Amino acid sequence: MIKGRNYIKASVLLLVNILMLNSSVSVSAQETLVIGAIPDQNPERLNRLYGLLTDELSKSLKVPVRYIPVTNYPATVTAFRTGDLDLVWFGGLSGVQARLQTPNAKVLAQRDIDANFRSVFISNKSSQIPVMKTEADLKRLSGRRFTFGSESSTSGRLMPQHFLQKAGVSLNQFKGGRPGFSGSHDATIALVQSGAYEAGALNKQVWDARVKKGKVDQKKVQIIWVTPPYADYHWLIQGDINERFGEGFTKKVKKTLFGLNQNSPTQRRILSLFGATRFIPAEASQYKDIERIGRQLGKIK
Amino acid sequence: MTEKGKSLSAPILAFLPAIALIPVLSEIFKEVHGGGLHLLGKFALASFQPSLDPLIIQHAFRGLQITIATALISWTISMCAGSLLGVLSSNVFWRSYRNLGWLSSVFNSLISIPRSIHELVWGLLLLQLFGLNPWVAIVAICIPYSALVARVLRDQLESLDHRPMVAITKNGASPISAFFTALMPAMVPIMTTYGSYRLECALRGATLLGVFGLGGIGTELQLTLQSLEFNEMWTSLWMLGVLMFGLEKTMAQIRKRQAKSINLQKFLLPGLFIIMGLFILCFLWLQILEVDILSTLRMHPITLPQSKELIKAIYSFKYFELIFNTLLIMVLATGIAVGLPPVMLILFPTKKWVTALNILWSFLRLIPPPLSALLLLLITTPSVSVAALALGIHNLGIMGRLLKEGLESQNNAQHQAMLSAGAGMRGAWLYGLFSKQSKSYLAYGAYRADVIVRETSVVGVIGGVGLGWQLQESLSSFGWSEVIVIIAIYIFITRGVETVSNNIRKTLLIDPTKTQINNVFQPNRFVFQ
Amino acid sequence: MRTIVELRNVSIKGKGQYRLKNIHLNIESQERIALLGKSGAGKTTLIQVLNGTLVPDCGEAKWKGLEIHRLSQRKRQSIGTLWQDLRLIEELTVIQNINSGSLGRHNLIWAIGNLLGFIDNEHGLNCLSAVGLSNEKIHSSIMELSGGQKQRVAIARLLNQKSELLLADEPISNLDPVLVDDILNLFLSSGRYYSIDVPETAIVSLHRPDLIHNFSRVIGLKEGQIVFDQSTKNISKEDLKSIYQ
Repeated sequence: MIKGRNYIKASVLLLVNILMLNSSVSVSAQETLVIGAIPDQNPERLNRLYGLLTDELSKSLKVPVRYIPVTNYPATVTAFRTGDLDLVWFGGLSGVQARLQTPNAKVLAQRDIDANFRSVFISNKSSQIPVMKTEADLKRLSGRRFTFGSESSTSGRLMPQHFLQKAGVSLNQFKGGRPGFSGSHDATIALVQSGAYEAGALNKQVWDARVKKGKVDQKKVQIIWVTPPYADYHWLIQGDINERFGEGFTKKVKKTLFGLNQNSPTQRRILSLFGATRFIPAEASQYKDIERIGRQLGKIK
Repeated sequence: MTEKGKSLSAPILAFLPAIALIPVLSEIFKEVHGGGLHLLGKFALASFQPSLDPLIIQHAFRGLQITIATALISWTISMCAGSLLGVLSSNVFWRSYRNLGWLSSVFNSLISIPRSIHELVWGLLLLQLFGLNPWVAIVAICIPYSALVARVLRDQLESLDHRPMVAITKNGASPISAFFTALMPAMVPIMTTYGSYRLECALRGATLLGVFGLGGIGTELQLTLQSLEFNEMWTSLWMLGVLMFGLEKTMAQIRKRQAKSINLQKFLLPGLFIIMGLFILCFLWLQILEVDILSTLRMHPITLPQSKELIKAIYSFKYFELIFNTLLIMVLATGIAVGLPPVMLILFPTKKWVTALNILWSFLRLIPPPLSALLLLLITTPSVSVAALALGIHNLGIMGRLLKEGLESQNNAQHQAMLSAGAGMRGAWLYGLFSKQSKSYLAYGAYRADVIVRETSVVGVIGGVGLGWQLQESLSSFGWSEVIVIIAIYIFITRGVETVSNNIRKTLLIDPTKTQINNVFQPNRFVFQ
Repeated sequence: MRTIVELRNVSIKGKGQYRLKNIHLNIESQERIALLGKSGAGKTTLIQVLNGTLVPDCGEAKWKGLEIHRLSQRKRQSIGTLWQDLRLIEELTVIQNINSGSLGRHNLIWAIGNLLGFIDNEHGLNCLSAVGLSNEKIHSSIMELSGGQKQRVAIARLLNQKSELLLADEPISNLDPVLVDDILNLFLSSGRYYSIDVPETAIVSLHRPDLIHNFSRVIGLKEGQIVFDQSTKNISKEDLKSIYQ
């Protein structure tokens, strides 16, 4: 009398099939080292860079390595906290945020340029904003259309805001009562160059790299100020990584990173994409200033 | 007598909200600068030259598939959960069962909180609790959608004719059998109509979550816009557009077919079977796309703030400004969304013009509001108006379609009578066509205000104003106490707006004669979201 | 014969006035009762008290010694009602509606099976032919039927309930004259009609005094009160006049 039984039976069978299929796949999988990075640049570029790095790490560490792209800063911090990511390339601020939330996380390495990192302020030439001579000149940016990068970026927001504040410019003094947040360093260049914003601040390394590649139209956009140095990007690794991958694994990762050099073509390519000549040891203590400024500006609670 | 006055004014009332456009545009134009104008031009031109690079197409297509699968899974779950909750929160169910009417109010208050928070906010919160997991997007959509479905189902259940149910209960049928036999047949067409709208909403929701980094076509859109790769952006937009167009047409067809005849046996069972099949296939689909949908969802609790921090957070906000700005965005956006469609239509009520408008509206509802806000920010500075305009034009696309379909579905005898009496094109349109729709259109507009107030969180993030912006700031600095306070304010505001809009709707829709009440509760889209 | 329904001093209050006032009534099995009265006299109210829809504001209404509005689900099956507004489920087909009459004998799974159209039962079909509707109609939806056809579907649903007592509220007002005889014959035939069990006791409200010769007992209602209550043969013209004044 009830004809529906066949339908139900069919769907249950299908469900069981799918579940079995997948559980068998997941059981056979080996422990994978999952790496990630804050999305501070164009994703295609990040995909290229981390594709290469993944292969290199996998070869040297002899474990499967996977790169998971993450599309916003706080999500990267969370993914590290939740253990979805094992090894992450963080900015200064996001790294401090991540360490505060993830007990035992270790600062592993930084680039040679990160110990003395800088931001640049740029402007669209048609805006007639003059090149600044001193920090105090930043005052001239008040009343202008100004954009930061991502709201959690160290070099694209935190430090520029810090220097602006020192010069006496608060965020509501920009035109429209608030600054823009372009989302990434590349976006800041594009928006300032297009004239959508009169000025902006970004990571100096990204700026230099884009200028070198000829991606910046220097007829339209120029540097108006370079900040004093501060410590920025660094690698963080989970504290329990040795328990999962074997004793001495952290050391092996460090050695691999420090070992990247200009002799191998791939490694040279990776380093150039990172905008560095090599990776060097880093310490948590280097980021004390960032933490202080982060707290002061309310980005660390 | 007052009735008469009210019905006369409704058509005019429907135009008035368009006034909101004046302050919005004047604020935007005051700040407009030539700097980014050519970028907007490039964006428009790029629509004719979407990138055909196979790699870009492949990327966009993968994103589109993830979005579709995410939308389908969350839609199925929310329809099922919503139906169950809707039955449980209806008074008639518990009354028919035992004298347990009070239980319905328990369920009612249970569903009122989840639906006052936008799926994006749920998404951002869940992301913090569960980390990167494809389920985050699904659950984020399911929570508010289930509650919304439950509310509509409950309202419809309560408004049905309960007499047949009483009759068969008196025959000795068990209350639950009587409930299903007497009320479900009438609910099936209503739920089909409503369900098809929810599917469109789910697709838009899944796209929007993508814009904020939860994967799918939205992520592609966001990334391409951020790097100003407009040609690549249009590759994704065209794909999404074709999908939405196809979906809207298919759903309209389904609604039309089943409005004619309701055959539960031929319609319901195969329908359910197809849906369940699709649901299961989606899991397989996502696995093939290397989205690890079968991974378990692990909760990583955050350390909850202590009461001291909470109190500090409570004192740290300028509530007046935050709430005022949020409400201002809502009012302006609603004005644009409700007032402009009739204004646009009355300009030239001709077939060609309507077709042109229809294309424009499809485009407007296609682009997620945060992206139109980003586009606007190319030529102006962040402000309440940018947020309101971005939100307003998106909803304008939705209101426009509703109005057009409403006008097309009614009989046009009066319109012809007007024309034959020598009325002008616009006068005939106003009196013969629009006046009949205006009340239900306005009522729907009031409902839309509900939706819009929830969506302010979405554009606030981009426009840099209101609660949405504050929420994003607090989330990115992991200030949980602030997040809690902001969400509490959100619930407060949305509940308030909901109450007001409900009252407006009631005064507009309830007429003394019963036949009109029945008309309102026909499976007509105007009662729905 | 035994008493099955007992009303003691039953009153129902309406707005300002009584819809039923101090009704005393005993009904015995196998009686065929006609309920007469103008519209608004309280016929529908009385029928709704008898099927438990309305609860008396004072007094008692009992079915076989139990209060009617507290009857268990099983016991409610023995009282079948043909409602004035029919109360058919418009969205369902003829046979699904007829089947819904027997929900008291079946569980929820059966009810859902019926909704999905899996239930065909012979008794339902017999009920349909008993009321003179052709089998071709069984899969039509109620919305497609004429008023008279709907009425007959409602009666078939009632018959499918297999109740002991039949309450019919104005069952013939929508029917053409030829059908009136058929339907009354059906209601009033004791025992079996074709192959269908017909409720052995019937209370039928009417507004046509010319039809009372079919009944064994006549109750006249006026303004919520019983004006007369006698066997048909003792009814006088004056009695009838008194309720229509």
